[in-house]
Amino acid sequence: MSGHTVAVLLDDALVTVNRAFGVLRRRNVPIEGLALHPSGTAGEARLTFVLKADAATADRVAQQFHKMIGVRSVMVLANGDSPTEAKR
Amino acid sequence: MSEMLSGAEILCRALVDAGVEVVFGYPGGAIMPFYHALPDHPQLRHILVRHEQAAAHAADGYARASGRAGVCVATSGPGATNLVTGLAAAHMDNSPVVAITGQVSRPMIGRDAFQETDIIGITLPITKQNYQVRDVTELAAVVADAMAVALDGRPGPVLIDVPKDVQNQKIEWHPSQKPRDTRAGPRGQSLTPGASPGSQEDGVRAAARLIKGAERPLIMAGHGVILADAYAEVRALAEKTGIPVITTLLGISAFPDGHPLHLGMPGMHGEVHVNRAIQHADVIIGIGLRFDDRVTGNTASFAPQARIIHIDLDRSEIGKNVPVAVGIVGDARDITRRLVAAVEPRRCERWLEHIRGFVRTRTESYRGDLSPEAILASIYEASHGECTIVTDVGQHQMWVAKLYPYQRPNSHITSGGLGAMGFAVPAAMGVHLARPNGTVWAISGDGGFQMNMAEMATMVQEGLPVKMAVFNNGYLGMVRQWQQFFHEKRYSCTPIWSPDYLKLAEAYGIPGYRVKQAGELAEAVGRANAQPGPALVEFMIEQEANVFPMIPPGGSLSEPIEAAPAGAAGD
Repeated sequence: MSGHTVAVLLDDALVTVNRAFGVLRRRNVPIEGLALHPSGTAGEARLTFVLKADAATADRVAQQFHKMIGVRSVMVLANGDSPTEAKR
Repeated sequence: MSEMLSGAEILCRALVDAGVEVVFGYPGGAIMPFYHALPDHPQLRHILVRHEQAAAHAADGYARASGRAGVCVATSGPGATNLVTGLAAAHMDNSPVVAITGQVSRPMIGRDAFQETDIIGITLPITKQNYQVRDVTELAAVVADAMAVALDGRPGPVLIDVPKDVQNQKIEWHPSQKPRDTRAGPRGQSLTPGASPGSQEDGVRAAARLIKGAERPLIMAGHGVILADAYAEVRALAEKTGIPVITTLLGISAFPDGHPLHLGMPGMHGEVHVNRAIQHADVIIGIGLRFDDRVTGNTASFAPQARIIHIDLDRSEIGKNVPVAVGIVGDARDITRRLVAAVEPRRCERWLEHIRGFVRTRTESYRGDLSPEAILASIYEASHGECTIVTDVGQHQMWVAKLYPYQRPNSHITSGGLGAMGFAVPAAMGVHLARPNGTVWAISGDGGFQMNMAEMATMVQEGLPVKMAVFNNGYLGMVRQWQQFFHEKRYSCTPIWSPDYLKLAEAYGIPGYRVKQAGELAEAVGRANAQPGPALVEFMIEQEANVFPMIPPGGSLSEPIEAAPAGAAGD
């Protein structure tokens, strides 16, 4: 099973970040490591985690984030890939 | 011209501006400024419930029946936590409920103040969005935004938490000022991630090709058909292609019962022929459903021969529970209409004949003659098939789903996803307010009815003529059935005592009727239905009646239980 790195750009608001963590917890997403940084754009944060799952699961996780209010973009990086924005 | 307004007054005005007409609520300390402002806004009719859970369920019922947002209000702490079950139910069934909660004043937040609770944290996983308004200048915009979020795309509940000092804060208010969009994220695009039109087009073409080549196709219509008002389109698709239609629990009334192409409900308590049809189908067109485990049984053995076309507004649903051959992200009405145009006319006579071969005669037998079927027929006749049925959760819910002959769109409302007992009575109050000229029947078991029967007082005080049907079998029947089938008939804690419902109704000033035999049905149900106000009918049904067939939890749709286990049947 190949791993994926997922980067989510989202509103830098506690409630939004909390909701994003909630998605990972509630959807029982197998993750390794979790980091939250300012993205460099004011009011925007970047949530990054490594997903120990196949491409189909990675896509489902991306879609769960996509429909979350406050999420601006979702990037999924498979092993050996160049980063691409997950299609909506 | 500007004027000085308090946050509470702004909140009321924002609700009026959003077109809100009914608010279900219960006052308390932290929401008192709102209640102080409320009488100045007669456009907002307030319904005083007896428990905040009922406010949330009533708002949910109102939303489902009207297609508009349902609003409920509660105070901080226990008021807010009592809303939780109702919000979770609305979340699971995609109902646009807007909850407004009072909160302790800002300086007290985080200090475990009296009646403080982190309702934002508590409701994060069961709301589409929630807001704590820390700045009164944002209040009007937050309300407008919350309304839009609740209704946009796939609907769902939102919560607005307003600290008491924000409600009391006065600011200069310009009536013409446009609410500021407080959301930092890019707006203007659909809240629901939609596929580009090109890929929708590809999807429709691919779906039409699959349908053309199918020998045993099926349409599965879910709640999305009702939410998208896609009745005519789904019917047109079925009639143009001759493909039979299955309606899920929340899809019931999306397609007329008794239509020659209507098969019934699938899943755990679905009819044998419906589940067999799924297991034999080679193409399934799923419209607005999530292939819930109560529908699929064990997904590994679900529809083993079928290639699935899945039409859903929510991209994250496609492929979530079952693998799909064609996923089309979009509005059920729009996509189905395009699919109707793309498919070639055809018939499925051999396949329909095949399915008719699966039909079993009902095996249920009832001691005495007061069967669920007869009860439901009497309600249908008394209301001339014109009423809205709201069901609770349990055996009666399945009987209604299987046996009530729904003809009118969106005339069946139930707590499907969450399965919240106690839903029917308060939700029916909301349905009445959304459809004041229609009749609404709340059907419950003796368990669920006792959870929210205090709402009879609300009905009397607020003049809500809900007709209540109580199926009394002296048991928590569905759990008892599972105990009979899977737990060695050990009826642990499922016998349930009931008060004398007629005397109880009388105490509330509500006419009550008790039916013990089928011969008494027409008169009792007819009289209850004709009451100008609320009425209650108690049906003394067979104590150990079961819902058949049944797919055991986690089992395959191919292996239904069609009779009680040997040695356990009604002895």
